[in-house]
Amino acid sequence: MLNITPTREVKLERKIYGLSRRARITRNLTLIIPVMILALMVIMAIFTNLSWLGLPNVGLAPHDPDSGVIRDRYLPPAFMEGGKSEYLLGTDRLGRDILSRIIYGARISLSISMIVIFITAFIGTVLGIIAGYAGGRIDGFIMRVTDIALSFPGILLALLLAVSIGPGYWTVVFALSIIGWAGYTRMVRGEAMRICQSDFVAQARVNGASAWRIMLKHIFPNVINSLIIMMTLSVGMIILMESTLSYMGIGVTAPTASWGSMVSDGRSELDRAWWISAFPGICIGLVVLAGNFLGDWLRDKLDPRLRQL
Amino acid sequence: MTRFIIIRLLQAFVALIGIAVMVFFLVRASGDPMSLLANPNMSPEQYSAIKERLGLDKSWSEQFLIYMKDISQGDLGESLVKERRVIDMIKESLPNTLRLIIPSFFIAMLLAFILGIMAATYRDSLWDNGVKFLAVLGQALPGFWVGIMAVLIFSVHLRWLPVAGMSTLANYVLPVGTMVFFILPGMMRLVRSSMLDVLDSEYIKMARIKGLPERLVIWKHALRNAVITPLTVAGIIFVMLITGTVITETIFNWPGMGRLLIEGTFARDFPVVQAITVVTAVFVLGINVLVDISYAYIDPQIRYQKT
Repeated sequence: MLNITPTREVKLERKIYGLSRRARITRNLTLIIPVMILALMVIMAIFTNLSWLGLPNVGLAPHDPDSGVIRDRYLPPAFMEGGKSEYLLGTDRLGRDILSRIIYGARISLSISMIVIFITAFIGTVLGIIAGYAGGRIDGFIMRVTDIALSFPGILLALLLAVSIGPGYWTVVFALSIIGWAGYTRMVRGEAMRICQSDFVAQARVNGASAWRIMLKHIFPNVINSLIIMMTLSVGMIILMESTLSYMGIGVTAPTASWGSMVSDGRSELDRAWWISAFPGICIGLVVLAGNFLGDWLRDKLDPRLRQL
Repeated sequence: MTRFIIIRLLQAFVALIGIAVMVFFLVRASGDPMSLLANPNMSPEQYSAIKERLGLDKSWSEQFLIYMKDISQGDLGESLVKERRVIDMIKESLPNTLRLIIPSFFIAMLLAFILGIMAATYRDSLWDNGVKFLAVLGQALPGFWVGIMAVLIFSVHLRWLPVAGMSTLANYVLPVGTMVFFILPGMMRLVRSSMLDVLDSEYIKMARIKGLPERLVIWKHALRNAVITPLTVAGIIFVMLITGTVITETIFNWPGMGRLLIEGTFARDFPVVQAITVVTAVFVLGINVLVDISYAYIDPQIRYQKT
């Protein structure tokens, strides 16, 4: 017997009458909540401490993230027995406030991922448009290099870099940029190839537009949508990779806080202070979730064609 | 087909040389490689002995030729810290890594297929939403954190499982679990979406119209065709396994290649890091060639398209 399920009809209805009320609400929530989380993180990162803007030494972080009060070491979060309200999320081995370190860590994670996203998107777009437009040998060469970069474990490259130029902020930026460009190249190249087939590019060619002009004025504006979606979707991935690298000790060096290294700090003290590892990890998870949801939402909105099932 | 295989092998070979060259220059990116290798309390004799042993007293071009010659002969150099041949260290740690990777891979694949297929078959059911939720969560939470939280819950609080060591089966539960967590979400999504694609196809409709029992439609007709897509990303899975093993081994002090790599990194033992990179590159490129060839075997269009 043919099985025509009711979901089919509902879907048809949705196509005709738009989304149902409940679906609209969920859809809006998948936008609002991620935006709120990301906005909160960005605010945290910017207003950590106003001294970097030339203003007095005040800000959101209640304590100094790098120096603690030894008397207050290993304090549990405020909501637990023995916790102090002045240390909302507890303190670590040196009596440093976990919340303040998380707030300062947001700065590291977010700034690294912003820089990396722009570098990788730039390199990927330039190479992708050239490959897609030029075709032939140039395309073949760029895509082979892209394939290798995509299939090579990024973590190895990052560790190699850490050995040769030493761990630090810019090592992470450099490593993640070398790893990340290939995904953009592949996506942009596909789009560029598709756009090159279209009539308006042929028209531009007939009108005698130069290759550069076609790439910049005709192809590039048409890949921006996909580019924005991919950049948003990669926020989560880059934050995850950044935290993994700093967990392994390749990122910013102690005592500067980053979320990954905080998780690593708490590893040896799980039996007496679980909160040192737990809270930074939750923060990473929240930001990544928010980034992924926002990316999905943008994809649905700007370009449903890209939607995976 | 022969032509395709030869071209692919050549490309992989060129890529391998590219990686070896990159490694050579990365050491020198920091200036004199001796600055990485020497430690401050070395005597001048030790310093020049190391310099000579590594051939750093020769010119760049000579060094490069010797380096390429050594690699082509399978000589991966000598650890600076442990004073042992790197190849012996790798031989020791590789089995431990395989003991972690192989069970994790099979468990993750099995779970991914079962969960993914169920989710696709009962689309939009509670089951499907559960799988989607798991996938979303799994892709958002950092693997190293999940591993540590598992230690906190199962070893520190419940005292069910040991934290370190590898003698009993119980030692494998947490590391393998962490590895599975790394691979499962992506795989599950992939199986689900390729299964949905297949279920939407004409021949599945045909099989249903023919009156085949749903069980046969799903497990025989659909599954066979849905398996292909996930298998073509074997290269990506391999990369995930490598990343996963490096992190898992550091969490659980597992004496495998990943820990060797991390220890090498922090001791600035360059030959070790370099050797592991090159060895892994051989594996990665080899697997990619195999995937390409088997894919071309299945789908004739690719043979002509990509060469």
